[in-house]
Amino acid sequence: MDSDDDMHDANDVESVEDDDDDDEGFYSDEMGFDYYCSDDDADVDYVIEDDAEDFERIHSRRPENNYIVLKDSDIQQRQDDDITRVSTVLSISQDASGILLRHFNWSVSKVHEAWFADEERVRKMVGLLEELVVWFPNARELTCGICFESFPRGRIKSAACGHPFCSACWAGYISTSINDGPGCLLLRCPDPSCGAAVGQDMINSLASDEDKEKYSRYLHRSYIEDNKKTKWCPAPGCEYAVNFVGDNENYDVSCLCTYGFCWNCTEEAHRPVDCGTVAKWILKNSAESENMNWILANSKPCPKCKRPIEKNQGCMHMTCTPPCKFEFCWLCLGAWADHGERTGGFYACNRYEAAKQEGAYDEAERRREMAKNSLERYTHYYERWASNQTSRQKALADLHQMQTVHMEKLSETQSQPESQLKFITEAWQQIVECRRVLKWTYSYGYYLPEYEHAKRQFFEYLQGEAESGLERLHQCAEKELQQFLTADGPSKEFNDFRTKLAGLTRVTRNYFENLVRALENGLSDVDSQGTCSGTSSKSMAGTSKGKGGRGKGTSRTGGSSKNVDNVGAATPVVPILVRWLGSSSAHTQRERERERESSGNRKNNKRPSFQKLAELWIVGGVRVPKLSCVR
Amino acid sequence: MANSNLPRRIIKETQRLLSEPAPGISASPSEENMRYFNVMILGPSQSPYEGGVFKLELFLPEEYPMAPPKVRFLTKIYHPNIDKLGRICLDILKDKWSPALQIRTVLLSIQALLSAPNPDDPLSENIAKHWKTNETEAVETAKEWTRLYASGE
Ligand SMILES: [Zn+2]
Ligand SMILES: [Zn+2]
Ligand SMILES: [Zn+2]
Ligand SMILES: [Zn+2]
Ligand SMILES: [Zn+2]
Ligand SMILES: [Zn+2]
Repeated sequence: MDSDDDMHDANDVESVEDDDDDDEGFYSDEMGFDYYCSDDDADVDYVIEDDAEDFERIHSRRPENNYIVLKDSDIQQRQDDDITRVSTVLSISQDASGILLRHFNWSVSKVHEAWFADEERVRKMVGLLEELVVWFPNARELTCGICFESFPRGRIKSAACGHPFCSACWAGYISTSINDGPGCLLLRCPDPSCGAAVGQDMINSLASDEDKEKYSRYLHRSYIEDNKKTKWCPAPGCEYAVNFVGDNENYDVSCLCTYGFCWNCTEEAHRPVDCGTVAKWILKNSAESENMNWILANSKPCPKCKRPIEKNQGCMHMTCTPPCKFEFCWLCLGAWADHGERTGGFYACNRYEAAKQEGAYDEAERRREMAKNSLERYTHYYERWASNQTSRQKALADLHQMQTVHMEKLSETQSQPESQLKFITEAWQQIVECRRVLKWTYSYGYYLPEYEHAKRQFFEYLQGEAESGLERLHQCAEKELQQFLTADGPSKEFNDFRTKLAGLTRVTRNYFENLVRALENGLSDVDSQGTCSGTSSKSMAGTSKGKGGRGKGTSRTGGSSKNVDNVGAATPVVPILVRWLGSSSAHTQRERERERESSGNRKNNKRPSFQKLAELWIVGGVRVPKLSCVR
Repeated sequence: MANSNLPRRIIKETQRLLSEPAPGISASPSEENMRYFNVMILGPSQSPYEGGVFKLELFLPEEYPMAPPKVRFLTKIYHPNIDKLGRICLDILKDKWSPALQIRTVLLSIQALLSAPNPDDPLSENIAKHWKTNETEAVETAKEWTRLYASGE
């Protein structure tokens, strides 16, 4: 036999690293995130109009739009426009303009700047030659530099340099390069001593249809990926891109697909918490055991009957399955009936400090010691972070269900046009957004130093206000709506429900705006507002022991809302809140709905073994605090 | 067999390699497989490999010239860019390959690599380290290996 095979074998074994750059891997490596943001190309000559109506409505409260979401066609349009612009200004071909822009990462201004500073240098660098390097004035036939065959002149093609290659060799050369990855966008003449650029025009005249298609896809992606002001939306399956034009610190962007993310770090949107805190927090979470996360996030024993309970509703008010029917708080596992002044508000369960101080049983001393234990602290914040995450996912699903299924039906049974039912989707949109903010405030709280007493108190106060507002709103949207969804005809109570839900939406929005503003100011109001420190910090000190006026609606008007004003947040709490506080506990539980949903709501089916479970709850001989709130 | 439909380019390159060999380099195709070449490179003067005769094998894959030839040293050599299996770290054999390059240019590049070892882009970590920490001693070892393994016996 011949040695061909032997040689193949030998090379397969020995040259492993020669072949490891398959194009997919190569390409995804290039998608690394770019935290740098230049202030170049900030000119916005472009707005999305159609099918962004919903989008605009949700985000209309934003002071200004820092970004533009780009659809496929928008990307194409902008790329073409940029190419035309450079081509016009520099009086060069579109093809040459495309080559230049690719080299300068699609920055029109950088191209202009470099070109007018030193055209010759730029031409040399990118391979835009003005004169032939080789020429054959009288030859009738030319020899291809790759296959060494002779061809009549007409069948030889060259870049601007004149190096002769036949069409078949060009096609092979181009194809090899395209299949090697996006590097084909910087293709040069095959002659190793020559740097003449090979642009899209040559590709289109010489490559196969399949290669042409691949090439233009790379070109399309390059316009987003190599441009410092644009990024793909990171949501799986989403094909929109975002062009960031802002210069302030607000990096939250919301894609047309509804996914919100931080333009700077591309994590899920995390305003008002900064990127560094988020990165630290995510790293910390990933370091924790997957099983621990699963338990904390998804399953707890009923505090009364000890059966494992999985959370399948958005709000924190849980009711165990019959016959137990024990009503309790998901966060602290305390009886729901006890929630009120002692936990710092009827619906609030955010108070880690209070939890620590109120654990005045025989365990009190050790718990105080444990408070220094980072695990307990972490568990407190993680649980609440994860719960809000889960609640948000559920709320998103509910919002979708509402829009796609319930609205039409509701419009029918209540004999109201769908436009009159917008308050329901608005409520759900508010819930989704607030769950997101609330979630991140827990990682903020985790990193807020213990010694910053005044800031911590102020923060927990605002967070508590916001949280109880949100719980009230979520409960109303989730539970009180049910009776109208299942009703056969118009209900008299529906208008009352509308007033209540719309009111709660508004109030909750105000609370969260206060919270976001305060956090973005670094809680500086605590230091700067000397006058308020007397009244507000006094009442906050009261609430931190769980005895202040943060509970029932009656005291809220006098106490809390005034505090909100005092600390510089100029949003009055609307009276409607007071009106509805009394009745908001009169909600109905829907066991059937819960059973129906519990099957599909589980993210991770890897339920840990009981052995594992026991190990996790008992860490280092100390019981991990399931009960971090007051009992 | 495989030789019958050998591309014209390979035939032309082979003819030229045989009729006008580059100084200090010989390359001749194997009789059974015209894509497989037995190569000999003389150690360049003024280099630690002077006086040595180095055997290499060179194979032109199916995709050649769109893909680079595969080349390796058969003779043991002490060189920071060549590992103990004879594999060579040379850009034009990888990402800098161009179909307008030829067997001749590849072999000339390898010959140049023997004159100018580059320990900053090493294939063999130990040898490169040796080269950077004590070049005189590394060069001595290279000369020693040349005497031991590349004396043309
Ligand atoms: Zn050709
Ligand atoms: Zn050229
Ligand atoms: Zn998206
Ligand atoms: Zn971020
Ligand atoms: Zn129970
Ligand atoms: Zn609680």
